[in-house]
Amino acid sequence: MRIRRAGAAAALVFVTLSAATGVASAVEGAPAPPAEGGAPAPPAEEIDHAAEECIHLLEGGGSIDDCQEAPNPILPETNELIWGTISFLVLFALLAKMAFPSLKKSMDARSDKIRDSLEEAERVRTEAEGVLAGYQRQLAEAKEESGRIMDEARQSADSVKADLLARAESEAEEQRRRNAEQIAAEKDRVMSELQSQVAVLAIEMAERVVESNLDRDANMRLIENYINAVGNGAGAGAGAGAGAGAGAGAAAGAGAGRPGDGAGSPA
Amino acid sequence: MIDADRIDGYATALFEVARVEGSLDEVEDELFRFARTLEGNDELRTVLTDDAVPAERRRGVVDELLGNRASPVTTNLVALVVGAGRAKDLPAIIDRLVRRAAAAHDREVAEVRSAVPLDDDQRARLATALGQATGKEVEVKVIIDPSVLGGLVAQVGDTVIDGSVRNKLDQLRETIR
Repeated sequence: MRIRRAGAAAALVFVTLSAATGVASAVEGAPAPPAEGGAPAPPAEEIDHAAEECIHLLEGGGSIDDCQEAPNPILPETNELIWGTISFLVLFALLAKMAFPSLKKSMDARSDKIRDSLEEAERVRTEAEGVLAGYQRQLAEAKEESGRIMDEARQSADSVKADLLARAESEAEEQRRRNAEQIAAEKDRVMSELQSQVAVLAIEMAERVVESNLDRDANMRLIENYINAVGNGAGAGAGAGAGAGAGAGAAAGAGAGRPGDGAGSPA
Repeated sequence: MIDADRIDGYATALFEVARVEGSLDEVEDELFRFARTLEGNDELRTVLTDDAVPAERRRGVVDELLGNRASPVTTNLVALVVGAGRAKDLPAIIDRLVRRAAAAHDREVAEVRSAVPLDDDQRARLATALGQATGKEVEVKVIIDPSVLGGLVAQVGDTVIDGSVRNKLDQLRETIR
């Protein structure tokens, strides 16, 4: 609708201007001299008008040169001014009536649009500034958070490092203690085993010595000692089971002493 | 239980035969020594207890072994038990017979192990000493056992009186360990 109205206003302006131009052309063509070589003669009304003006000049005491005076190149003719003024007024009225409202409305719409755009741009800019401020705030918070996290991580790493060092130290100490205990236990075991082996060897040697040196006489002495010890032990034990055990101990003691004697006597 | 009854039956039979023959003490002593020999000789025990060996052959081994060393009654009694396939029970049968004989005399059997034989005087004094120690009438049965090295080991019932060099060496070994 707006385009259509604008087109109609443009057509109206064109027609008005064409009409004004036509009137002006008609006015300008009036005083033109007749063309040479058979050109059509100017209208009789215009000749009369020029003649009347010349007559009027001559009657006012002027000369004939005044009738031949060229028109003012700056100031237009009076009729041109009149017609121009009328045309201007008509044109202005038509424009004021038909074109200016639509133009004003279009201009207002454009102004509103521009204003809306400016406001929208302002709003967007404000919003963008808000978003930017939010982003900057978030960035600052993120930086602060990252710094805090880094600090915590550093503290945690230091704590973990300290714990690990303490644990490693404790484990190493525990391992050293276990190693020492194992070494001591192994040493005790080896010493015990060595002692046992030495004992076995000593007993075997003693057995060999006893076997090789325990002759019949020595054996007889052992038997006599046994008989005497059992008899004496029985008297002390009053024949009870415990008394028999005591007799055995006494007999064993006597018997154990004799092999040494028996072994030594042949030597 | 069946084996115990059978062993007791054989022991009673051998005891009655020896008593009837009038040589109980001699037969008892010879049987006791044969039982100890059988326990200490794996080869002899294997031959006498092998069911694959004919009974006649086993009795022949007994005759060869005891013919010149023991009384005919002892030899025949051992051959009887071996021929019946009870050689593996022979030590238990003889031990039962010995205890039965001792009980008949109201005595307790004392198994005495020695590296050397004992003479009669030593046996008598040892029986007296063991009788005083245990409070019982004791009958000494001597087993020659070189492993005792020296001295004596006497067992009367459940009581053991060990005065052997072997025992002393064992005690010394335990003390050193």
